[in-house]
This record gives sequence, C-alpha cells and structure tokens, in this order.
Amino acid sequence: MTSQQRLLARVRDRFTKPERRRGFLVAFEGPDGSGKTTQRKLFKTWLQSEGYDVVTTKWNSSELIKPIIKPRKTAHALSPEEFSLLHAADFRHRVEHAILPALWDGKLVIADRFLFTGLARDVARGLDLDWVLKLYQPLLWPDLVFYFSVSPDTSGRRVTATRTPNFYESGRDVTNLEDPVESYHRFVKRVIREYESLALIFNFITVDAEQPMSQQHYRLRELFREGEGRPWSEWNAEAVVEWLELPGRDR
Amino acid sequence: MTAKERREGALIAVDGVDGAAVKAAARALLPAIPAAGRARVSRWASSGLFADLMIAPQEAGSPSARTLLLFYAADVAFRLRWQIRPAIDEGKVVIAAPYVATAIAFGRAAGLPAAWLDDLFTFALPPSETRFVGEMPRRASAKRSGFVDFGIRCLDGNPNGTMRRELVTRMRAYLKASARR
Repeated sequence: MTSQQRLLARVRDRFTKPERRRGFLVAFEGPDGSGKTTQRKLFKTWLQSEGYDVVTTKWNSSELIKPIIKPRKTAHALSPEEFSLLHAADFRHRVEHAILPALWDGKLVIADRFLFTGLARDVARGLDLDWVLKLYQPLLWPDLVFYFSVSPDTSGRRVTATRTPNFYESGRDVTNLEDPVESYHRFVKRVIREYESLALIFNFITVDAEQPMSQQHYRLRELFREGEGRPWSEWNAEAVVEWLELPGRDR
Repeated sequence: MTAKERREGALIAVDGVDGAAVKAAARALLPAIPAAGRARVSRWASSGLFADLMIAPQEAGSPSARTLLLFYAADVAFRLRWQIRPAIDEGKVVIAAPYVATAIAFGRAAGLPAAWLDDLFTFALPPSETRFVGEMPRRASAKRSGFVDFGIRCLDGNPNGTMRRELVTRMRAYLKASARR
C-alpha cells in the first residue's frame, strides 16, 4: 500500500464510519441582499439547539489574507484577475486552517458564501469560468448548498435601502459607472445570471428568498433534515488527502 | 513616432532557484540590450503582496504551497498590469526576474499537479525568451530574499532543513527539464 493509498483509506474511514457523526458542510450562497446571513444565524442557533457542534466561516475572512486584501479594495487597486486570485488564496487558507480541521473533527461547518461566490462574481467580471474554477482546486464540495434566490430588483432595493454599495460590491471596476447604485443594479444582474447557471450545474437547493423570513427558516430545517443523511462525497477525497499531507499536519 | 522609429517590445524571463543569482543574471543582461533606456527589470514581489505576507502575525497560520502560488500569480498579474505590458507597449524590453517558470518549478517540487500550475498562469504573457540560471544555493541567507527562500520558510519554518535540500534539488530538475523543452 502506498502512502497515498493509506491516507485515502484514513480519509474514507473518517468520513464514512456509521458509528460516529461525520463532518458536514453546508454552504449558503446568493447575491447581496438575499438575506442569507440572517438565515445562516437562525440556522446555526437551531442546529446548536439540536446538539450539533457548529463552526461558521465567512467569505474573505482568513486572518492571513483578509488584512492584505482589505486596503487594496479600499484603494480600488485590484484588477479582476488580482481580485479573483487573492480571494481564491483567502478561501484556500480557510479550507486548510478552518474548514477541513473542523470537518475532520466531526463538526458541522456553515459557510456564509463558498467558492461559488468567487465563481459568480469573477465570471460576472468577465473572467473565464473554467480558469476561475481551477483556482479552487482541489475542490471541496459542500454536502448541501442553499441558494437564496432573489430578483436583481429585490437585491438592489434591500442593499441600497440602508447603505451605498462599495466599489467592488457594485462592480464599478467593470461597469465603469460613477454612480454606485446604478452600477450595483447592472452588476448584480450579471452576478445573479451566473448564480442561476451555477445552481443548475452544481445542483444547488434553491430557497425562495422573497418569502417571509420565518417561512424560509422552517423550509431550511426541512431541507436539512432531508439532506443530512447524504453519504460523504468521494469527490472530496483529493482535497482532504492534500490537506493531510501538508507539512506540520500531524493527524 | 514614425513606423521606422517604432520599436517592438519584448519580454525576457529569467528564472532559477537562487533569487540572488536570478537578480544578478537580470542585471547582467541589461548592457547587452541595444539602445540605452530600452530595458526594464520587473522583479518578484513588486505588488507588495509578499511584503504584507511577511509581516502577518504567526497565529494567522502559514500559507501552503497552493496559497503561495495563488499569491505569486496575483503578483504576476500586478507586474503585468503596471510594469510589463505598459513597457512592452512603449517598445521596451522587459526582463522579468523571476517570472512564471520559477513558480511552476516551486509548485511541482512542492508536489502540486502540473496541470493546475499550467492553468493558473494561462493569463500570463508568454516570454519571447527564457533564461535559466543554474546556480543552486547551498544555504538560505538573510541576503537572499527570493520567492524560493520565502516559500521554503513558509512551508518548513526551517530555512536550511531537509525540506530545503529536497525542494531545491527537485526544483532544479524541473527547471532543467523546462530549459530542454
């Protein structure tokens, strides 16, 4: 047996033994203003009350990379490629330092935005989907992806009701429009179009985010109960094996 | 400027394991380029991304080889946008030292798949000429501040440990193979 085969056997053992609760990954996706953060908080509280050990990870929140990206965003200094590559680096660092360690320990990880956010936004910025998808390899597939679907109008109305969307959020780097609100409306249409395609390709579970908040939450509970028995995806083996092989990873 | 006066720009890549040797090789190339003022050197870490990474708190965790390569690619994107493409458009010769081959060899030596590395850099302008610097550093030194030394420090913590010897040897083999191609 090669060392790779031994690692693979360990990974399968860890994630498929019926007697222990395996790590489970749930991703919340959707455009800004779709209400997914509110739903994520309600969902987490409910899961904890049900006895799950829950860990949350947010988009662009790596302790290593977020402080490097932030001033460049403020200075409007990133091209679409740089923006894409740095967010992929942030994601990779969180996969290695937060998401996989928690999954390995049998925790339930809720990702407030996952790699699909990178795909939707970067492709909306004009980058090639295939190139962007490869940045995120080896791919780690969530067990469930909840996609919070709203119209561009709803997204725009909710976001602009309380604040002005920032430079990159409104896509001003690619629309070249001065008015952030006008730019946001144009950019979010592209983002939602990409999300809708991704939802089909990657089999997201679509939640109608135009519905009342409580209705969405109870629907999430039902969907989670239906999906939590799903078997572990063998597609994730490569990502876990690579993580186990990282230097200094004594597991 | 008349058509006769207009010069064609070019990109020369200088790649190798030893950051100091790569830097010296790029400097040595400059006088060989005809017409003073036509050449520019584009160096690793020009974007400032790696400088920021160097001062990151230890508790944030070390970047893996993949994360480092994504960073390197972002740095290359920056150099292309601000240094390389504008200079070439002005008819200048740009020496990129190091460029993409060093990063790919580092990634291969660290065990990353060749296809992923090739795909990562598809956005990068192909150089019209590539020079490989064969020198192999025996030890990391404070004077050396190249990508390879930085990367090894991130991966191993010990800049002169076993990993360094193995990684540098493998990198050199990949660069040699690239030079033959």
